[in-house]
Amino acid sequence: MSVLEIKNVSKIYGDLHALDNVSLSVEEGEWVAIMGPSGSGKSTLMNIIGCMDKATSGQVILDGRDIAKESQKKLTAIRRDKIGLIFQQFHLVNYLTAVENVMVSQYYHSIPDEKEALEALDRVGLRERAHHLPSQLSGGEQQRVCIARALINYPQIVLADEPTGNLDEANENIVLDIFKQLHKEGTTLIVVTHDPEVGEVAQRTITLEYGKIVRDVKNATFQET
Amino acid sequence: MSKRSFFFKMITSSLIRRRSRMLVALLAIAVGGTILSGLVTIYYDVPRQMGNEFRNYGANMIFLASSNDVQLNAENVEEAKSHIKAGQLIGAAPFRYEMVQIHEQPIAVAGTDIEGAKATSPYWLVDGEWPAAPNEALVGKKEAAHLNLKAGDTFNMVYSTENDEVLESGETVAPTAKMTVTGILETGGSEEEYIYISTDDLEALTGSAGRIDVVELSVSAERDELEAYTQSIPAAVPEVTPRLVKRVTESESQVLTKLQALVLLVTSVVLVLTMICVATTMTAVVTERRKEIGLRKALGATDREIVGEFMGEGLLLGGFGGLIGVFLGFAFAQYVSRNVFSNSITFQFWLLPVTVIVSILVTGLACLLPVRNATEVDPAVVLKGE
Amino acid sequence: MFFRMIRGAFARQKMKMLMIALTIALGASLATAMLNVMMDVGDKVNQELKAYGANITVVPKSRSVLDDLYEMEGSETDQGSYLREDELGKIKTIFWAFNIVDFTPFIDTQVSLPSGSEAKIVGTWFNHHMELPTGETLDTGIQNLRSWWTITSGEWLDETAQKSADVCMVGEVLAQNEGISAGDSIHVKTAAGEKDLTVAGIYNAGGDEDNQIFAPLDTVQALSGTDGKLTSIEVSALTTPDNDLARKAAKEGPESLSISQYETWYCTAYVSSICFQIQEVITDSVANPVRQVADSEGAIMEKTELLMVLITLLSLLGSALGITNLVTASVMERSQEIGLLKAVGATDGRISALILSEVMITGVIGAVIGYFAGFGFAQIIGQTVFGSSIDMKPMVIPIVIALVLAVTLLGSIPAIRMLLRLRPTEVLHGR
Repeated sequence: MSVLEIKNVSKIYGDLHALDNVSLSVEEGEWVAIMGPSGSGKSTLMNIIGCMDKATSGQVILDGRDIAKESQKKLTAIRRDKIGLIFQQFHLVNYLTAVENVMVSQYYHSIPDEKEALEALDRVGLRERAHHLPSQLSGGEQQRVCIARALINYPQIVLADEPTGNLDEANENIVLDIFKQLHKEGTTLIVVTHDPEVGEVAQRTITLEYGKIVRDVKNATFQET
Repeated sequence: MSKRSFFFKMITSSLIRRRSRMLVALLAIAVGGTILSGLVTIYYDVPRQMGNEFRNYGANMIFLASSNDVQLNAENVEEAKSHIKAGQLIGAAPFRYEMVQIHEQPIAVAGTDIEGAKATSPYWLVDGEWPAAPNEALVGKKEAAHLNLKAGDTFNMVYSTENDEVLESGETVAPTAKMTVTGILETGGSEEEYIYISTDDLEALTGSAGRIDVVELSVSAERDELEAYTQSIPAAVPEVTPRLVKRVTESESQVLTKLQALVLLVTSVVLVLTMICVATTMTAVVTERRKEIGLRKALGATDREIVGEFMGEGLLLGGFGGLIGVFLGFAFAQYVSRNVFSNSITFQFWLLPVTVIVSILVTGLACLLPVRNATEVDPAVVLKGE
Repeated sequence: MFFRMIRGAFARQKMKMLMIALTIALGASLATAMLNVMMDVGDKVNQELKAYGANITVVPKSRSVLDDLYEMEGSETDQGSYLREDELGKIKTIFWAFNIVDFTPFIDTQVSLPSGSEAKIVGTWFNHHMELPTGETLDTGIQNLRSWWTITSGEWLDETAQKSADVCMVGEVLAQNEGISAGDSIHVKTAAGEKDLTVAGIYNAGGDEDNQIFAPLDTVQALSGTDGKLTSIEVSALTTPDNDLARKAAKEGPESLSISQYETWYCTAYVSSICFQIQEVITDSVANPVRQVADSEGAIMEKTELLMVLITLLSLLGSALGITNLVTASVMERSQEIGLLKAVGATDGRISALILSEVMITGVIGAVIGYFAGFGFAQIIGQTVFGSSIDMKPMVIPIVIALVLAVTLLGSIPAIRMLLRLRPTEVLHGR
């Protein structure tokens, strides 16, 4: 069953076709990498999937529901319930500790639960750093907090925007290992990246150029671990 | 953890862990609160304090006998004085005027309570000393020039009437008192034409006691209240007719109204400008957090929730800053009062809630605008760098 | 490049810079308004205190005893000497002529009324229009110097309209005792002449004057045969509160002062120096301060000025903190930019210079706008409270400039120092 289905979606800024009649569908539990050079429209696609932007035309069916025409307010609610976001710049609230940052997500979703938040940090191996402020954490650790925050509400899709863009190789590997683990647990992962290494580890790679899908391949080297 | 307690955890963390910035905001609000409470206290205190200064102009009320058939005396004057509210009476000086002979010339002498005269007429300038002992006199400047008297001189004061004792030689013996001049009185007014002695000395000389011609009173009250006294006192003490010294009362209310208007206007200008300053500072502090607002939106916070959180912070900051302001403001007002009027003021308790509420309102309003602005922006735009 | 960066900062951060400029403008306008009002408040309050009437009386030198409260001395005893009416204009030629707000001559004499009783009649100016030798004009008279009188019936005697007519105003008590009302004609008689006077109005003075009759100067001079003569002049002058020097001069006479002290004293508007100057121009006169008015004036002015100084200090402090705060807040917010500049190799000095120049340019713009706005505020205060404009004091300009510069510097330096201590990587990788 496909958790996300995009049909003929276009996004037009003035004369610029950021997305030009794009269609794709993502199955539940699938790990998809969206790749392409800068300006190819991958960020626009990510924003549309993440309910942070609206398509000019076309249908975006998330979990069986067309969200393309929903109001901003509805989109906020959908994002809260169904999407987990991971950012390149981590975006942690700098005056809250790691565990509190995870709890912020719970707070907006339902009820903050410290135990559960600590467990989520445990999954990304940060249990003992839970009560540190972001300024006391390394970049990789911050990104892991961000992942824990994205996972805490059991979203249907985890959407990561250049999750390793600000990380060194060691931390990149840690993050990718976590992704592998998530995939094994059945989480739907959509990773936007221009890093071929990150793209290659995914199950399926979609390549965008000038707002169009130019390639959509199952990764031959992908191995279910 | 409940939703509410996490809410408080978030806003207190924001206030405590972002110390330097929050101190900036707190300081701004505290300054606003200080100015608000300080100036309002002064504004309310100015008429009272200045009113006392205006008592420098001397008597603003006099007591006269209500008709030719009755006389003022110590008893009815005391009773009439008792109808004036405690603390308002700055001074009261009874005067009794008599003609006496000094160096064979008729001279006007006033018997009074010297301490009372000192209190009612602070502008009296005495070259020398005020009389303190019996048989001491204060001589008006013109009279002193006329009689060629200076401080330290003595003179004989003769009280002559038809019933003076006539000696066999045909000479008359009138009561006489030997007085010492302690000081020369300078006022620039008609007081300079009198000799002032104590009531006791005058009564001893004339051999008659109890009569008072006029009482000068200096009352620290607004004109309306003084006018009320001119109605209430004769009703209670029919022998006494209080009259206002219009020159003093009219002018005082005129000048005082202006002064109060001045302080009011200055206070409002300062307040408005300070509040705008507080608002811009708060705006700067909030604008800085656009990214955080974007993040919260991305995490699924509704606009209402975000506004609520920032308002919560504003409320705490405003309340706390206002509280600091109330006390600093009172300290300022007290300092002003001590230095300008050498007088202390009482704490106006209603200012406490007013200042805190105004601080909260200003802080809240100042946050509301930038927060609303920030919530309108797409989270994607805010989070993408810039 | 430096200027390009500054220009860039202004163009891109329009809103932010506008806000800083606005706050500085507000602070500067507050400072300007308060300083202007503070420096002028003495004069303004002094004007208001003129409501208490004259603070100087001028009498003839040889006239030792005036009529007193109880009419113990008849008018016969003081026939000795008079002041000269033709010298009146000279009062407006003294050194402190500008400070003479009002002056009014008086001549008084006893008249007998039809009922046989005697009353004091005072000749004076009511609303006299004067052409001064200096070319200025002055409207003066007891309408100004007796501001506390209330007219109980009829109206103020209008000297300009009823110049030749024999008119008068009668005190309330006398009017009651004699059964006189406004519009009546009363017959008054002196040793030198008699006249029928029309009563223009009845006044309540709340004092001895309620027993008197006031009539135009010429009328009374004609009645008593004292043309061109005056018994006293009341002068209302703006004065500086007395200090030790003034008290010394008043007590020991100007002769006791050293030359430099004398000059200071003569050129300061102390009540004693104005008195002295009046004596210089009016032949055989003695000018005395009316202590009741002069002293109290000094006390009230001092208090008001002190009060305003303290309020001004508070508002200066307030605006200084307001500006400092905002500048600090807005500099701190630029941590990322500073981190970036450091990362690309800018020295601390260059970064500080860049930020300081930006803030200073904004500050200067804000201060200029603020100065004019503040001057406007001062005028609003002056017009609303005193009905007259507040003088522009040039001294305020350097004070405001110094204040704004000091305050913006004080506001930016700690923030810049704090930011410079940060390591660029920390800042760039989002702390």
